[in-house]
Amino acid sequence: MRIATDIGGTFTDLVSISDEGNIITGKAHTTAPNYEKGVLDVIQQSGLGPETIDTFIHGSTVVINALTERSGAKTGLITTKGFRDVLEIARGNRPDLFNLRYKKPTPFVDRYLRQEVQERLNFKGEVITPLDKDAIRQIAAYFKKEKVEAVAIAYLYSYINPEHEVETKKMIKELLPDVAVTASHEVTKEWREYERTNTAVLNAYVKPTASTYLTKLKSDLHHINLNGYKYVMQSNGGTTTFPHAEETPINVVESGPVAGVYGAAVLGELIGEKNIIAFDIGGTTAKCSLIDNGEMKVDTNYFIEKDDKHAGYPIKVPVVDIIEIGNGGGSIAWIDKAGSLKVGPKSAGSSPGPVAYGKGGEQPTTTDANLLTGRLSLSNFDSNVEMDTVKQAIQEKVANTFEMTADEAALGIIRIANSNMLQALKMISVRKGYDPRDFTLIAYGGGGALHAPALAKELGIGKVIIPNASAVFSAWGMLMTDLRHDYIQTFINEMGQIDPNTIDRKWDKLEASATEQFAEEGITEEHVLFSKFVDMRYKGQEHTVKVPYPDGTWNDTTKQQLARAFHELHEKKYTYKLENTEMEFVNLHLTALGTIEKPKVNKFTVDEAFAKNEIKEKRQVLYEEIGWTEVNVYHRGKLPTGYTLNGPAIVEEPTSSTILYPDQQLQVDDYGNLIIRIKEAEA
Amino acid sequence: MKKESANIFTLEIVKDSLLAIGDEMFQTLARTSMSPIIYEVLDYASGVMDKNGNLLTQGNGVAGFIGMLSHMVAYTIEKFPGKDDLKPGDVIIINNPYVGGGSHLSDVGLVMPIFYEGELIAFSANKAHWTEVGGKDPGSFSNDATEVYQEGLQFPCVKLFDQGRINEPLLEMIKANVRMPDLSIGDLWAQIAALRTGNKRINELCEKYSKSVLLQSMERLLDQGEILAREEMKKLPKGTFTAMDYIDDDGFGNGPFKVQVKITITDEKFICDFRGSHPQVPGPINCSYSALVTAVRVVFLSITNAGDVVNDGIFRPLEVIAEKGSVLSAERPAPTSIYWESDGFGGDLVWKALAPHISERLGAGHFLSVCSVTLSGINPETKEPFLIVEPSVGGWGAADEQDGARGQFCIGDGETYNVPVEVAETRYGVMVEEYALCNNGAGAGKYIGGSGVVRSYRALSNNQQVSVTFGRNKFLPWGINGGKDGSPNEFFVKKADGATEGPFSIYARYPLNAGDVVQLVTGTGGGYGDPLERDIQQIQADVKNGYISLKDAKEIYGVELDADDFSVRDVTPERGA
Repeated sequence: MRIATDIGGTFTDLVSISDEGNIITGKAHTTAPNYEKGVLDVIQQSGLGPETIDTFIHGSTVVINALTERSGAKTGLITTKGFRDVLEIARGNRPDLFNLRYKKPTPFVDRYLRQEVQERLNFKGEVITPLDKDAIRQIAAYFKKEKVEAVAIAYLYSYINPEHEVETKKMIKELLPDVAVTASHEVTKEWREYERTNTAVLNAYVKPTASTYLTKLKSDLHHINLNGYKYVMQSNGGTTTFPHAEETPINVVESGPVAGVYGAAVLGELIGEKNIIAFDIGGTTAKCSLIDNGEMKVDTNYFIEKDDKHAGYPIKVPVVDIIEIGNGGGSIAWIDKAGSLKVGPKSAGSSPGPVAYGKGGEQPTTTDANLLTGRLSLSNFDSNVEMDTVKQAIQEKVANTFEMTADEAALGIIRIANSNMLQALKMISVRKGYDPRDFTLIAYGGGGALHAPALAKELGIGKVIIPNASAVFSAWGMLMTDLRHDYIQTFINEMGQIDPNTIDRKWDKLEASATEQFAEEGITEEHVLFSKFVDMRYKGQEHTVKVPYPDGTWNDTTKQQLARAFHELHEKKYTYKLENTEMEFVNLHLTALGTIEKPKVNKFTVDEAFAKNEIKEKRQVLYEEIGWTEVNVYHRGKLPTGYTLNGPAIVEEPTSSTILYPDQQLQVDDYGNLIIRIKEAEA
Repeated sequence: MKKESANIFTLEIVKDSLLAIGDEMFQTLARTSMSPIIYEVLDYASGVMDKNGNLLTQGNGVAGFIGMLSHMVAYTIEKFPGKDDLKPGDVIIINNPYVGGGSHLSDVGLVMPIFYEGELIAFSANKAHWTEVGGKDPGSFSNDATEVYQEGLQFPCVKLFDQGRINEPLLEMIKANVRMPDLSIGDLWAQIAALRTGNKRINELCEKYSKSVLLQSMERLLDQGEILAREEMKKLPKGTFTAMDYIDDDGFGNGPFKVQVKITITDEKFICDFRGSHPQVPGPINCSYSALVTAVRVVFLSITNAGDVVNDGIFRPLEVIAEKGSVLSAERPAPTSIYWESDGFGGDLVWKALAPHISERLGAGHFLSVCSVTLSGINPETKEPFLIVEPSVGGWGAADEQDGARGQFCIGDGETYNVPVEVAETRYGVMVEEYALCNNGAGAGKYIGGSGVVRSYRALSNNQQVSVTFGRNKFLPWGINGGKDGSPNEFFVKKADGATEGPFSIYARYPLNAGDVVQLVTGTGGGYGDPLERDIQQIQADVKNGYISLKDAKEIYGVELDADDFSVRDVTPERGA
């Protein structure tokens, strides 16, 4: 049996599919900082026998937490002579334009631990100055004296010729056997020294933490007799083995959210939807990602701690492109200095949480507004809070300012929250040249179902899907993954001047690395699938477009196909094409999937006999357009397959609730997903 | 669905939509441009104005455009005052430096009136640095122009589109007068695409929420901006504050030029009076009144911490006074190619006058200059010509409880990125010898000024030329509250034969041959507070990190440290126990 466990901020989720094809889920509390305990708890709680588990897939926040909490290792850096300050100078940008006390991101390595070595390559990768090995010995001794726990090595042009980095790493490993070492070319083979150096540094910084955690988890799992294959979810939408994750832990930085997007892609494939917007509303944030014709967008433009006021830290590893905004169920409604109602980005979190949690929260949140308007019910919360307490908080903190009732204010909070989320959804669609009307919205997480129907209406989206496993959707996505490795190699060449042998050899080499890596991971060649892409641009420009690379060896047809696809994609993304301008390759990108057999999801049927009393109650719900309206509240678990109902209505489940508007119709599909159709999609 | 009585939250949502439109227009321009200076350096701005020309929202990649769009629209209204002078589908083009939001000729502005059901309701406008507008030098802006006629084509606020029909002869004229017509015309279309996006989205808002709701939202946006600014004004110290400084020179050896400000802050007004500053000068460092206002607005926004909401409501209390014909408010035909070397001083004077009084928002002075570098030659690999045009990072001043930022672009820039070494060497015929912090001990203080950087280019072919414009070379970034001054921006040329020339600050077309190295050094920011009060543990860390030398630790900071383990050996009497 195959299981997936996903560690989130509050809960550790488990999803599995039984031999009969039924979905099994579990939820236990996350047990920071001993995360492995929560994993064991949730396995035990699920009742699955560890010895029956032959494949264990795992996603965790260990790496991102070590970064954001600055709890990683004491790290040293070795660079080319003259460039140790690149890590600190960074790109020099100041996104907070009107703040004259802007603070640049502090480097993860202090200057005294940034050491330089005499060595130099030119831009073609040719050695101009040989490596000074004595200097490395001295640096190793110095690092030892300073009790450095991890070392990153980043030399200029190592993405073309890594020999000096390889040699340096070998020496450091011999001289400092207990220290974790990362050479920049092992984590990224793209140009731009600051970005590559920072990526290597962050990998080194989290390596000891990740290694300790995975070792402990492996041993604990062994202890309960779980000895099957073990994989770790990565940010590129695929998995890797434990040893590989220990070597380059930076690849798992964004695993949980990515697994949700992957889950949306897999669900789409299952039910025949290719164009999808994956939309996840949690307690603190909302995240969205666009899947175009079944393909997730994977690129290396990932940052941590970056927003419109902060430059953040670049991490050049493949990550599924996700937009995240500070708008979730726990987002606090407040009034700014000019008298405007705002929702988020500050969140009440899970403790104290919204007023409705009864854990001492006094600030009204989106969740509280959903409760007061009848969209959620008090029974959704494990608390003994009275509706009046919630009403009073909204009245005092919001409604009084505008001299209105608490109900009106609650609706205002929902409308502002929706407006924020709408902008995020537009950002990944309209603004990137996609028409949202061509897409299906798959909404999950605690708040997805509450807001998606209203947002779909605004965007003109015709269909919304609330998945069966929406509460543990990231874990569900993980369960469906293959092993995946991305190999990205900077390769600057004008297309017209590419030598057929060179390019074919480059691809062969990348494929050979993939095959070799998969062999180490126990995947044989016949299970490996390759897709090739090239990051291309018009000569003289900087921005690139990712273009699918045709199969086979390089010839004139290859060129023509690439050119055609590039012009078309460029026009879509940038609104114009320059058909007479020379095109240039920037990066080769090989995606390699090690396919493994996945569980079959059964069609889901609820016995008609069981499906009695599907209407739980009638409740007053406040709608934007039609005001307070009495609607049927349905029990999701009791809706049989094929069941159809019309809005206005509510479909409730333990942790969430779907709100249907008057012109919307909902049907339960064969897999237990709720399919909502919006009739009068606005243009 | 149209509603006449606007719900307060509807107004908020429309207001947020307006801001999102500004953002979308900004991105559209970057997305559709073909010039690196636009999509990489983000040297442009775009925004939406109400029908009276009040700025509602502006997208900025750099700070130095924040006063220009609304002035541009105001001038358009002034020039086309009649009811039927502006029609749906019109687009106006303007780059006159002396009026209408002008800066230098390279920044070309476009204005589009937005109509709904035949009624003028708003304007969309943008201004972008074109790679080429003609003139005597490639790239158009020049550090030795002596009159505007050498600096490129002038667009004096004329119609580029008349009711949706493009003015073909004008387009032909542009193509004939610029060196790289494809880029310039490409940017023109990118600007038009952004204007049209604004027009379309504003019309959609009217359709969805009604014109009256939109107009109410615009009013609310401006009023709220004013409320925010007035709230912040209450917290400001009241009275009169002054500062003076000197601009080094104009590139022709003239100077220094005295500039000064008198600021009067009352409950209602924030008046910056620059009268008494030097008259306009022969070299191209003169700035227009709009450029001066822009520079002052950046500091004003910083002081009022209103950066989240940028509209003309915020600027209602602000007044800027300068004599016509001064170096800070130049008139035709004064050259303005490198105007940022003077308008920067306008903002810096306000900053300097107020820094001692508003320490929570303002620190000591920074390296100030854009520090632009233009390097051209033949790439020995490809045998093709190359051209590097880049600003430089430098040191920022220290502030209360904060050391200055090291290696960061100046106040007039912003979301500006340096060129990676690996990109520069791959593209151009140069080799970068070092890119490092220049920890020269300047800017000492309780909090220390941030270091500038050293960036050295070795020419790999003969007959290369470098033009450098480094201001703040003689008059240094200022320290405050006992903090020391920073260091100058300067450059040296190390010849292949071993000779060193320099330091220089502003230099047009310095010749380089293979093996010659141009070493660009940017200044350290000013310090904050008495160096003797700097925390000893911090000094130990600074010495260990190489930000402060052992010698300076003793002589300036009064702490003698062990050279090996940085333990404290002694504390000087000045520092006390």
